[in-house]
Order: sequence, then C-alpha cells, then structure tokens
Amino acid sequence: MPVPDNVEATVRALVDAAGLPVSDEEFQSLVDGYPTLRELADRLYIEEVRYEEPALIFTPLPPAKGE
Amino acid sequence: MTTPRTIESAAAALRSGEASSVELTEEALERIAALDERLGAFIAVNEAGALQQAEQADADLAAGVDRGPLQGIPFGLKDILATKDQPTTANSLILDPAWGEGYDSVVSERVREAGAVIMGKLVLSEFALGTPDEEKPFPIPRNPWRLDRSPGGSSSGTGIAVATGMVLGGLGTDTGGSVRFPAAYCGHSGLKVTYGRVPKWGCVPLGYTLDSIGPMARSAYDCGAILNVIAGHDPCDPTASAEPTEDYLAGVEGGVAGLRMGVPREYFFDHEELDEEVRSATEAVIDTLAGLGAEVVEVKLPHSDIAKEANTLTMVCEAFAYHRMDMGSDRWTEYGKGARNMIGRAALYSAADYIQAQRFRSWYAKQAARVMADVDALVVPMTHEPAPAHKPPDMNRRLTMPSYAGPFNLLGYPALALPSGFSSELGLPLSAQIVGAPFAEALLVRMGRAWQQVTDWHLQAPPDDAPGGEEA
Repeated sequence: MPVPDNVEATVRALVDAAGLPVSDEEFQSLVDGYPTLRELADRLYIEEVRYEEPALIFTPLPPAKGE
Repeated sequence: MTTPRTIESAAAALRSGEASSVELTEEALERIAALDERLGAFIAVNEAGALQQAEQADADLAAGVDRGPLQGIPFGLKDILATKDQPTTANSLILDPAWGEGYDSVVSERVREAGAVIMGKLVLSEFALGTPDEEKPFPIPRNPWRLDRSPGGSSSGTGIAVATGMVLGGLGTDTGGSVRFPAAYCGHSGLKVTYGRVPKWGCVPLGYTLDSIGPMARSAYDCGAILNVIAGHDPCDPTASAEPTEDYLAGVEGGVAGLRMGVPREYFFDHEELDEEVRSATEAVIDTLAGLGAEVVEVKLPHSDIAKEANTLTMVCEAFAYHRMDMGSDRWTEYGKGARNMIGRAALYSAADYIQAQRFRSWYAKQAARVMADVDALVVPMTHEPAPAHKPPDMNRRLTMPSYAGPFNLLGYPALALPSGFSSELGLPLSAQIVGAPFAEALLVRMGRAWQQVTDWHLQAPPDDAPGGEEA
C-alpha cells in the first residue's frame, strides 16, 4: 500500500473513523509520522510470508474455568 | 561501599539469624523514605502492611515454617497487578478504580503465599506503554544512576526500586521489553518469561498475544527464585501454558561448558545505531562464556528488523482494541500524551496489517525454531544504547529506533537481561541479553549465574546522590 498523495486527508479520515478527538498538535504529529509508519508496515508484506497462516489461536472448545 | 543485598543473601541471613524480616523491611522503608521522592519508584507504599507481613514471616520462620527464599523478603509489584489490599491504577486516570478492588492477581497471590513482604505498588508507564507525564498526578520515574536519564519502561518503578534497595525483588510485565529495558537501564537482572509461563489473570492487558509477567531482581539467581513462585498454569488465564514447571534453581550451578551459544550478527550487532560500548560489552559476555566452555556458533535470524515492527504493530493494535471506547470519547485527554500517541496511532494501521503481522510472526517463528534447533541459547545486546535522556523521544523517532527486545516478544521466547558493564562517559549501566527456546528459563538462569559468578556488574548500586538532578 503506497503512501497516499494526500497524507493529511488520509490521516484525518482514519482518525475520524476511529473517533479520536485529537488536538491540532496531535493531528500534525500523526501526519508527520504517517509516511514512516506506512513504510514500516508495508515491510511486513515480504515474499517469504506469502503462504503463511497467521499466528492466531482459536479453539472451538468451551472456555476454561474462570472465563 | 558494602555489597548490596540480594534475595539469595537476604534469605540466607534470615535463616542464619543474622537478620530478621522486620529488619530487612525497615531497611527498605528507610531507603524509600530517603530516595523515593526524588526517584519516583512507588505509586503507593504499604508501610503498615509490610511491617505486619514481616512480623508474620519472622514468626513463621521461628516456628519452623519455611515457605522458601521469598519469605520475609521486601518485594514490589508493578501497579498493573491487582492486589487485594491496595488499589491498582495502571498509572492512569482511566482505569476504573473498581478494577482489581479487593482481590489479588494470580501472581500477587502466589508471592504473598510464598511469604514475600509486599512493600507497595510501583510506578509504570501508563498502561505499560505511555511515557511519564508531568501533567498527570503520578510520580515521574528517574534513572537512579543519573536523574536526567530514563529509567526505562514500562516497569520503571520496579527497575528503580530493585537498583536502589527499596525492594530486593519485584515483578514487571514485558510486552515489548518492559521488564528488560528498566533492568538494563537501572543496572540489574530481569527475566522476560516464555509467553504463557506465568498466568496473567489480574493483570491489566496491553498486548494480549504478547504480554508476560516476569521477575526483576539484582541477580539471575534471584530471578530464578522468583520464577519458582510465580510460574505454572492457572485455569483463569486461557493463555497460561500447561507445560510442567521445574525448579529453576535446581541446575543453577551447572555452568556453561558444552553449551552452544548462537550469535546472530545481522541487525543485533551491525545496526548503525548500536552503541559501540554496548556492542563490545556484549562481545565480552560472549567471550567470557566461551572462556567458561560454551561454544560460539554464528547464526542467522533474518528479518529481525521487521520482527521489531511486527511486535510494535501487534502490541499497539491489541492495546487500541482495549482502549478505543475510552479514547474515542470525552476521556481522551485523561490519558497522558505518550499513551494517546502510542496507542491512538494504531488507528492508522489496517486490519490487514495486523493479520499480516501475525503471518510474518508464523514465518519468523519457523526461522527462529530452526536456529534454536542447533544452539542452546542466543546472546545479543539488550538495548542499542545506554539509558537515553529522560525527556521522551519524539514519537515519530520511536518508530525507527531498533529494538532488540521486541523480536523475542513476537516469538514468545524467554530472555534474560544481564548487566554487562558501564558506559565510559556517564557511568550508565550496559546490558546484554541471553535468549532461550520456549520454556528454557532454567537454562537462562544457569547461564546468567555463570556470568555473574565471574563478574560483579549486577552488584553495583547507584549512589544516593546521583547526578543530573539540575537538568531533570
């Protein structure tokens, strides 16, 4: 997922969708960091991982005591 | 300067009659009275309760009731662990005061039953991820070696309290390094346990698939003594492992002769931001253990830089799920600035990113398993630099800093942080890390013991009048 041309609009949409009432200063910090954040997240999509199953655990068995 | 007490030496003193638990507890209370206002280790001290527990520990020992090496030992709990006799805050205005009220977490109960004297609740980074915030009503933790340096997080208070003798041992939690960073920056040992080794029920979550509760103490031996008490399955925690526990001190004097010690150079030793003194101190650990009979094996653990990112992404996304209802409300500014930024940032990731991090995790786990099939342990630096400036780094800068802790949270492997020297310029502690295969904690304690029998970095204590206060 390439970094979008309009970072500010993208970050605004994501922050609003999450309902975060960020200040102007906080918003600007997120905008400033977004290209790096996106670049780092995109590095997860490497060829070696193409056929991996996610390391998530789910069991259909009933919950243990205490849950 | 006298050698500071360890749990090992204090437990021996209690049994020889050289000291009583009440005396140890009064010593610890004196240290707290003298230092805590400046260093910010405790959120709440339970003086009356501690003295009462100490009297009970002495009475039990006198009656021949010996509950093991934690009995009568001044001990601290990160304030993210529920305690029936003190409130739990997670260092935040957000946590419902009713959470944790009137009951113990599994680990709180276990250390209490082992006779530990619980001195109080220790400072942490907000919800184990934020940064110290002077606008909030919680103590600002400071590095006991230099007040203008960070003590590390998130188990900052436990790190400070152990380093200064306010407690002889304590518990922290580790999701991306939070036991090991404060141990490293404050100059003592800290054991991140295998995921699932220690039950988490009664602990405020950060990253559900990463969190672990681990021992922090001066020595590797002491960490093993604590782990003996807190390890083992509990049905209340669905992620707690049923893998049998063992006596983590049984083979502690076994040495390292014949062990194969893997050294992954890529990323862990060749990163451009790795401090030269940290690197050379870690090399000294490797050389010393090799001199004691361990075999050095060069290994490759590819894409460990991406593993750091996968750990961070997993941690903040899982944390955001827990916090979103509060963050997306008028309670946003009740969080500190650091927590808002670190956790709220997760809104910028996609659901696919989270799943991809878990797919990477599967792949990375296979690479690590291949490496561990050929060696007994890995030795790497714990941090890439000594304790940084106290002022929290720019949040965007944190995205790109290397982490030698996070990859092992992603894997769920145990890792032991050990003091490895001091920086030449400011005299700050340096730290190396021994990493094992799942449930190899006993081996790590044994290797740490071997290192600490030929060095005394872990027995160095900071001065009571640490410099740097004028700039802090």
